[in-house]
Amino acid sequence: MIFALIRKEFIQLLRDPRLVAFIVVMPIILTTLFGFALKLEPDNVRMAYVNKDPSMFSNLIETNIWNEGYFQLYPVDEVADIQNEIRLGRARAGLYIPATFSADLVENNQPTVQLFIDGSMPSLATAMDNNSSAITDEAVTADMYFSDPDEPAAIIAQDPFYLDIDVLFNPDKIETWFFLPGVVGILIMQVALILTSTTIVREREGNTLEQLLVSPMTRSQFIIGKIIPYVVISLIDFYAILGFSWLVFDLPAPNSHAVLLLLAVTYLAALISMGLAISTISQTQQQAIFISIFVLIPSILLSGFIFPIEAMPSYIRPVAYIIPFTYFIDIIRGILLKQNLLVELLPQFLALLAFACLFTSFSILRFRKTLA
Amino acid sequence: MNPAIETRELTRRFGKFVALDQLDLSVPRGAIFGLLGPNAAGKSTAIRLLAGILRADSGEADILGLNLNTQAEQIKRRIGYVAQHFALYPDLTVDENISFYGGLYGINDAQRRHKLLDLYDLAQFSKRRAGHLSGGYQRRLAIAAATMHDPELIFLDEPTAGIDPVTRKELWDLFYALSAGGKTLFVTTHYMEEAERCHRLAFLNRGKLVAQGSPGDIRNSLTGIQVYLARIAHNPDLNRDLMQTAGVQMVNQFGDDLRIIARNSVSREQLQQVTDRYSEQPRDVVPVETSIEDAFMSITSEPAASQ
Repeated sequence: MIFALIRKEFIQLLRDPRLVAFIVVMPIILTTLFGFALKLEPDNVRMAYVNKDPSMFSNLIETNIWNEGYFQLYPVDEVADIQNEIRLGRARAGLYIPATFSADLVENNQPTVQLFIDGSMPSLATAMDNNSSAITDEAVTADMYFSDPDEPAAIIAQDPFYLDIDVLFNPDKIETWFFLPGVVGILIMQVALILTSTTIVREREGNTLEQLLVSPMTRSQFIIGKIIPYVVISLIDFYAILGFSWLVFDLPAPNSHAVLLLLAVTYLAALISMGLAISTISQTQQQAIFISIFVLIPSILLSGFIFPIEAMPSYIRPVAYIIPFTYFIDIIRGILLKQNLLVELLPQFLALLAFACLFTSFSILRFRKTLA
Repeated sequence: MNPAIETRELTRRFGKFVALDQLDLSVPRGAIFGLLGPNAAGKSTAIRLLAGILRADSGEADILGLNLNTQAEQIKRRIGYVAQHFALYPDLTVDENISFYGGLYGINDAQRRHKLLDLYDLAQFSKRRAGHLSGGYQRRLAIAAATMHDPELIFLDEPTAGIDPVTRKELWDLFYALSAGGKTLFVTTHYMEEAERCHRLAFLNRGKLVAQGSPGDIRNSLTGIQVYLARIAHNPDLNRDLMQTAGVQMVNQFGDDLRIIARNSVSREQLQQVTDRYSEQPRDVVPVETSIEDAFMSITSEPAASQ
């Protein structure tokens, strides 16, 4: 008896070619993707620098950083610019060499070189912290000791200059603050995708789709009518999870609640239209859930949520930018941790909006008012 | 007034399989029109084409005077469709199901809803989930929901399949009431006794229309055929012997009654001789009137016999 059941289950599984594809192909694609992507060796981390002291010594520091290959330097004018570049996410780090650097160095006054680090991504901040040794490397400092042969041997300071590390935004590198905003986004993505990706398939499986098709309702009405209730429900869910995080984990409040709401709405619109698009291409609820998971896992691992995008090999990076969650992460960290303004986050908002429009149009075009 | 449905060479293929082959159908207004045929004859394909949720590969159809190919959306407002599997939301209540389907047509009329609930004897269950209703009441609800927008033409795909005779009769009373109210009903079925209830019938076999007309017309159309009845218990050897007699088209056992459909070339005496071989006491083989089922069996068995 049990063999009859086992046999039947195998036959049913193998009869569904898409399911077979998901069972075999999905793990292969994901393994390949993550195998290449998930190595935590950031390089080309962008660093804004201000060198007010164009001297041999400051050049020595610069050159050594370049050679190390970890930071990618580009010049800005003032210290304030460094902070701004980091706030806007254009740089992850900054370096400031004051005008009096070589003068103080010659005088053995131990000048200070300022290193700024973006604390909103603690794992990256720690890595940068470790990699900043290039600045105080012996190759740099060896030529920076000055002693007057005519004078009695002076007590030479251990290091010719100080490196002052300033962690901006989330100075304590609290991992919770880094992860929690993303966790909210992940949980919402899971709810929204699973709910909506099965919604049209369920009508099909329950035979109610046929009854909807005979009605005069248009394709757009059908798709929009499916999107709106799920946006509302997910929105409530989003604020519930976020509110809980504020209460329990002391997550910082956003600088603007209006921008947060805008984020929630655009992000959910993108997710739910994506879920619907999945629903229009799935034949069974099982397939829909498989595709949702197929979307969900790379979103978690390749969006900069856990591993900085900078840490991914350059050929994997484009994948990060076709994931809506990548933009959500940027925006929510921007408004919770970095006090970004709406206008500074405009590209990310436009990206989310584009996803929403793309998936909605796809769903409308893909949804037929006739049976196969 | 133009007919409710008029089709010209309506054809639909699924890959190589021709599900519906050049269908020419005419359904007068106000009639209950029955589309009969064995399984896979193309009944559901026909009804889906006419309801506008499946596209024809070729051919034309006018529904309520509107062209199906070009005016499908206008047609949709004026027709109702009850799918074979009763498209209800089991997690919604009776009331909510009706409201929803009415809403799809922009109808938000509480009075109409109450009227339908009363008419279909559903008022007592209005707050009950559709999934908790009995099969018969689910069908009533499906019909109520599909007629919320008061359509002129209602398609019912096997509305009484798997339903007990009492409930079936009650459903037919509802159909007659709708018909008396001027509605046209297009019903598919494979219950023969239901065919007799229709005003007009069409027989479909392997995608082709094989007969069309009133039940009487169809019974009388079987020229060259005579049906015989013998009171004799089931005997597979007798059946085989009869079928091997040239001109016998079909033998059909009903309890102790055996119906034999034979061409006029076969004489009563010939059949009597065959049956006498299998019964100790002689059983009279007597000619009887053709029933719709006989006609159905005869018509649908013909292509198979000729192959």
